[in-house]
Amino acid sequence: MTEKDLQPLSYSPAYLDKIKGMRFFDPHVHMTSRTTDDYQAMADAGIVAIIEPSFWLGQPRTGVDTFRDYFSSLIGWERFRSSQFGIKHYCTIGLNSKEANNERLAEAVMEMLPLFIYKEGVVGIGEIGFDDQTAAEEKYYRAQLELAKEAGLPVQIHTPHRDKKKGTQRSMDIAIEHGLDPHMVIVDHNNEETVKEVLDRGFWAAFTIYPFTKMGNERMVAVVKQYGSERIMVNSAADWGISDPLAVPKTAALMHESGIDTNDIHLVTYRNAITAFAQSGQINEADFDTVRDIDQSLKFNGSTVLRGGQQPRVNKNSTIIR
Amino acid sequence: MENAYHYDKEKVEALLWDVIQQQSTDNGLAWLQQRTANWKTTAAVQQFNLTFTAIPRFLSKNEITVSPETATALRHLIDGYTIHGYTLDRLARVWWLLQLPADDRKTYTQTIENLFDAAEMNELVALYGALPLLAWPEAWRLRTAEGIRSNIGIVLQAIMTDNPYPARYLEEPAWNQLVMKAFFTEKPIHQISGLDKRANQPLAATLTDYAHERWAAGRPVHPQLWRLVAPFINDNNWPDIQRIWQSENSIEKEAAALACAMSPYEPAHTLLHQDKALQQEIKDGTLTWDALAPRC
Repeated sequence: MTEKDLQPLSYSPAYLDKIKGMRFFDPHVHMTSRTTDDYQAMADAGIVAIIEPSFWLGQPRTGVDTFRDYFSSLIGWERFRSSQFGIKHYCTIGLNSKEANNERLAEAVMEMLPLFIYKEGVVGIGEIGFDDQTAAEEKYYRAQLELAKEAGLPVQIHTPHRDKKKGTQRSMDIAIEHGLDPHMVIVDHNNEETVKEVLDRGFWAAFTIYPFTKMGNERMVAVVKQYGSERIMVNSAADWGISDPLAVPKTAALMHESGIDTNDIHLVTYRNAITAFAQSGQINEADFDTVRDIDQSLKFNGSTVLRGGQQPRVNKNSTIIR
Repeated sequence: MENAYHYDKEKVEALLWDVIQQQSTDNGLAWLQQRTANWKTTAAVQQFNLTFTAIPRFLSKNEITVSPETATALRHLIDGYTIHGYTLDRLARVWWLLQLPADDRKTYTQTIENLFDAAEMNELVALYGALPLLAWPEAWRLRTAEGIRSNIGIVLQAIMTDNPYPARYLEEPAWNQLVMKAFFTEKPIHQISGLDKRANQPLAATLTDYAHERWAAGRPVHPQLWRLVAPFINDNNWPDIQRIWQSENSIEKEAAALACAMSPYEPAHTLLHQDKALQQEIKDGTLTWDALAPRC
């Protein structure tokens, strides 16, 4: 047996038939913590582009250099790795709420952020906002809103797991207070208890399909049936936890099964995210096609995604490659 | 000079040492004694750190047994402190931390902070569990709040349960985070030290919102949640209490009854009167939040 034999077979789970030919944009997925197998499966399921927000790596960083390397990887290696699977990779850059509580470090990160927010493919400041809803979190949230305003970039807000309703309201109040147009602000991780107010106030309402802790996709179907498709978007927020990088296509399939109109599915799983984040001036849909003409024999600083003996996956036209 | 330790450190240290001595192998004990002698002569922080990290290589990870006398003595020396369920290496690490001179607050806290910064999971468990014993207790507030942000279950548990430090020293927002996160991460709520004493209105409001979210998602709500809401039952959250009172789940109804019994809110008493049996159980002390806990 060789490495070639070990390559995952591309097979078509039943749900893929329902969404055949559809394109998806996952505006929130932490690919740093995912494998290349995930990229392959995502491409096969019709995901053509993603946004990777800066986030917490599961344990606190102790120095500014690890932040620098992380930001660099989001606009460097990870973007390259994604391109090797025909997926256009964007990112948002920011100091996450959890680590805003380490003020010494947070100050140093704030100083560094301006070096990263104008890099190619950076489509916003994010994900920022509240976790514990501490004074330090508020301070750096406000500072980053100012940075976003100055840079004319969209803002991607992480709403807290705990005390979500209050945290969501407070995040929006502060954004307004800093003079941000709600149309430039994507409020993430919504649920049934927060969606109405977010939409009523003119913000984008993003939903994370994440098992156990956030939304399930049956609930998502119900939300779209109740609130429609305007300013609503779906993401996976897949990360190092038990999560599913195929959450967006799977949800689209479920919506299809539940009789939701194709155009509404298209809006919440593709178009709305592009409309929102393209306000950065960094998204050109033509790039999605270009990146599909992948060539896995390329290298990034001398490194390739292929491991010894593996055959490069070169895709010119088809979604499924053996 | 301000006291570094807010409890009788010598006595606690001696009690811990007795347990270590009784439950270590001869080799393990000899190693620890040799390390202690070395540390006392060199006073080199590098040696201190080395011993802290090396302890599990020489002392077992077996769970210790604690005599009822020792347990009681410890609880008296530090209100609510227990080493029940500790492994030997964890206990030895806690004891070792007491070997660090605490007279210079800055050097002491920096040395301990460095241990936290470089700690792996088991070291974090030992360090956070040792919070009630560390010198300069006010110095660990931020560190504790940081620990609550961890996503590692056993680390969270070391902070949240059977640990008197948070209730005594955390500011209200950090304390509320601890309780909320304990619900989110399904920790044994009734084992949080000082739980009832530090119930507060903002926490009750937050937990009620949380219950609404869970219901919206079609998920169950932990019955102990109402324990924190009980002292603050008002017109706003009264429908929630009525809802669990009407629940088909008997544990939820019992939680509603307990909440009503704790509440100064008049309609709560009227409601409780409707179920004489439950009312009597509460009166007799057979139905309490702790009694309910194993069934939650």
